[in-house]
Amino acid sequence: MQGRHYAAFAAAGFAAVLTASAANAQETYKIGISAGLTGYAATVDRAWRDGVELAAAAINAKGGVNGRKLEVIVEDNRSEPQEAVTVYRKMLTSDKVNIFISGCVSAGNFAAAGLVVRAQVPMVLCSILPQQPDQVKWAFSTLPPAGFEITKRYEYLKNKTNIRKVGVLHDPTPYANLQKGVAEKAAAEYGIEVVGVEQYKQDDADLSVQIAKMQAAGAGAILKIGLGGTTLTAAKNIKQLGSNLLLLTSLEDIAVFKPVADVLGDKFFFVASPSQVFDALPDGALKTEIGRFLKPWHAKFTDRDPNWASRGWDGVMLTVAAIEKAKSFDGPAVRDALEQLTGFQGTTGVYNMSATVHQGLTVNPFFIATIANGKPKVVE
Amino acid sequence: MTLPNTTSTERAGLLLRAWPLQLLPWAVSAAIVGYAFIVGGYVATVIAFALVYVVFVTGLNLFMGFANQVSFGQNAFAGLGGYASAILTTTYNWPVLPAMIAGIVLAVVIALIIGYPTLRLKGHYLAMATLAIGLITYEIAVEWQSMTQGYLGISGIPPLGIGSYEIISDRGQLAILSIVALLAVFIAARIKSSRMGRAFLALGASENAALALGINVSRTKLIAFLTAAAFAALAGALFVHVVGYVSPEVFGLHMVILGFTMLYVGGIGSIAGPLIGALLISLLPEVLRGFKDYQDLFYGTALILLLIYAPRGLAAFFERRERTGSAS
Amino acid sequence: MTAAPARILETQALTARYGHVQALSAADIHVCAGELVAVLGPNGAGKSTLLRAILGLASTTGTASFHGEPLPRQDPVAVSSRGVVLVPEGRGIFGPMTVSENLQLGAYRLRGDKAEYGRRLARVLALFPRLGERLSQTAGSMSGGEQQMLAIGRALMSDPKILLLDEPSLGLAPRVIAEIMEKLALLRDEGLPILLVEQKAPAALKLAQRAYVLVLGRIVACLDPRDLSSHDDLAKYYFH
Ligand SMILES: Nc1ncnc2c1ncn2[C@@H]1O[C@H](COP(=O)(O)OP(=O)(O)O)[C@@H](O)[C@H]1O
Ligand SMILES: [Mg+2]
Repeated sequence: MQGRHYAAFAAAGFAAVLTASAANAQETYKIGISAGLTGYAATVDRAWRDGVELAAAAINAKGGVNGRKLEVIVEDNRSEPQEAVTVYRKMLTSDKVNIFISGCVSAGNFAAAGLVVRAQVPMVLCSILPQQPDQVKWAFSTLPPAGFEITKRYEYLKNKTNIRKVGVLHDPTPYANLQKGVAEKAAAEYGIEVVGVEQYKQDDADLSVQIAKMQAAGAGAILKIGLGGTTLTAAKNIKQLGSNLLLLTSLEDIAVFKPVADVLGDKFFFVASPSQVFDALPDGALKTEIGRFLKPWHAKFTDRDPNWASRGWDGVMLTVAAIEKAKSFDGPAVRDALEQLTGFQGTTGVYNMSATVHQGLTVNPFFIATIANGKPKVVE
Repeated sequence: MTLPNTTSTERAGLLLRAWPLQLLPWAVSAAIVGYAFIVGGYVATVIAFALVYVVFVTGLNLFMGFANQVSFGQNAFAGLGGYASAILTTTYNWPVLPAMIAGIVLAVVIALIIGYPTLRLKGHYLAMATLAIGLITYEIAVEWQSMTQGYLGISGIPPLGIGSYEIISDRGQLAILSIVALLAVFIAARIKSSRMGRAFLALGASENAALALGINVSRTKLIAFLTAAAFAALAGALFVHVVGYVSPEVFGLHMVILGFTMLYVGGIGSIAGPLIGALLISLLPEVLRGFKDYQDLFYGTALILLLIYAPRGLAAFFERRERTGSAS
Repeated sequence: MTAAPARILETQALTARYGHVQALSAADIHVCAGELVAVLGPNGAGKSTLLRAILGLASTTGTASFHGEPLPRQDPVAVSSRGVVLVPEGRGIFGPMTVSENLQLGAYRLRGDKAEYGRRLARVLALFPRLGERLSQTAGSMSGGEQQMLAIGRALMSDPKILLLDEPSLGLAPRVIAEIMEKLALLRDEGLPILLVEQKAPAALKLAQRAYVLVLGRIVACLDPRDLSSHDDLAKYYFH
């Protein structure tokens, strides 16, 4: 009898230890990142990952969220959709992540979206949202709507210049295509006419044909949509053509712009995100939030461009806010809470999510800037 | 005791020694797929992709291993098959099976149009031409946005299935893909031992010798090319229905590089080679994933070691030992 | 020796070039029924080119005719379907394939006719019994002499009406060469005309009814082997 009691007691104790250790092991909230750490998206996605990791560290330093520390799991999708499916699947089934805060390889995010939705895990993305309605339901984006970069430039042209005819020069990526569409549609609103739309490829070494065409059509400025070395190519071509065209380019790593400014001087403008022109910002909620991010960022990465990383930071902060709101770590609950976040101050602007809006930056956060004395400067 | 008796036991011994070695690649493959089937999870995803690649590489092997030609453009046919099936099932609401068949037919027709003039080219001219085919197809997938949606890709592609029965579960997918992959390997084996297959091998060994035997070399080459294109298109169609999404990058140059690696590591020219190559090369990065930043380093080292110690591929390694064993 | 025997294969002013290089100049040769004719010449003389020109593997002017009818140009498949069959230089056997598969390829045009295939196979295996012992062995793993037998056997599988052989003795031991030449004599005696190209004269001269000497792309002599007392008599042509 006594022996049996003892055994039962021991078993209960053992079970208690087991459950305790299981609870301990479960105490982290796991964030999965599928990022193109190698391949074409490497620059953007490494920055995004660094932003996510920085934010997770900041949250953990404050004791985590609702009693759990954040754990970040990163897998390289090599900027390939097939690899993305594999690593998403790995993080879902092997690591059992609670949420994805994934990078800018949109094809990779789209390819895996079906899997993620079936597992009822929410996604906060760097890229544009998937196209399928059932997939959009679970996906949120920190990306400003495609139109913002365009309308900011139109606004500038309308208010500060006499230029009313523009050419649009874009690459074939989905985001650039979306922006091109907006450029065509929104022009009239600003009294502007799009006199030419030309496409180029990211590895084109000469854009003078496209530029000359648009100039011949009467364009006074070129809106360039797309990332990378082609901006410098466009600048050089404009100079070679002896043209007076203004070049207004999209959001980009500031480092890319310095040589461009050397070529075109005061004829060169770019769209800047708030974190890129931190010093010029008025005091307020936005500046405070960016300051929170920039402090550890500068400490760790000195003067590396903060733009993409700041959105990764936002991704984590949105997630944390949703967990707090939901008082749950449960996938569907966090999803529902994400959808209800309004007036959320991020480093890129204010996020207003809703059942129909999962790309939450609804107020244009951008600035038009130039490079003066090697530093970005907001043009007023 | 008697002489015939001794020889028959000797023969049986030879068989016993020969069989396991020859069967090893098959046994290993079955074990890998079986493991994925039991474990499920992301191993199942990795092996599902590997099985799709078995079909692709088996086709590549017909053209490169048997007929000894070079093509860097097989991804084009995978892309054609995949996109055709994706577009027909999403935009035009075709059932999956007819859409896949249409994709394969389209790829073969395009292969015929392209192959007829290009297969007259020799050596690296042919290789360059096939490389161009791959790049052009990629460009079309990017540019023809009204059809392909460009880089945005096509999502919501229905899963594999027959009629109203859709195969979504990991195990279901693995089962159907295993059957298709085995069928592809079986067809390749049948081709190899057929009259046409011998003609592939003959022109692969020496075009002049084949010509001297009355083999119509350019027609035989074209048939090998079309067959490989059909396999590639089938692989492409399987891929889009397994993933449910397609974009141009899916059938990019990395597919060619991966296919070549699988073919050479597995054993070019052998029947089991594409099977074992596709499975091992798909698994290798996953086994090495724990090494994080050193994953690529170890992967590269493993490839180099494999190519040094099994220069004709893993499967050929086993086959050769069996064959020379009975020689001399 | 009264009426001239029928000419099976005949070339008239057959000329072949590789780009700008003329490798064969206006060659006139012929092979009659029941004959084994040798073409002798040093390395690079154009012997292989002559055979390739007849088969349509090189671009040519002039004519090659078979039984009085011109052979199609640059269409080796059509030429071989007329029964003009080449055993190429270096044998051209398919090393990774088995002996049996090589022989099947010889009968490529036969398609499904099993009975005829069996008859041809029996004939080849009777001529070269060693091939019969090695049917399931890979061709590449056999000795040079066996590979040459396989090359000839494979050509015979297509039931040729004339056999063109390009240096079958290359790289073989004298004993093996003798064995092969003996088989060629047997085939000739069975009524298969043979055009035999060789660099080393003695073995070929023993068999041949007639020998052409080819130097620098030109036929410089047509000899009766019985007039040649030794190999040295040829040297005066070679080192012209
Ligand atoms: N494919 C080729 N291209 C150019 N020249 C060739 C080619 N084949 C042979 N030749 C040249 O033609 C000549 C005759 O060659 P060939 O017929 O092979 O001589 P043989 O068989 O008597 O040794 C040589 O000078 C050789 O260099
Ligand atoms: Mg020669």
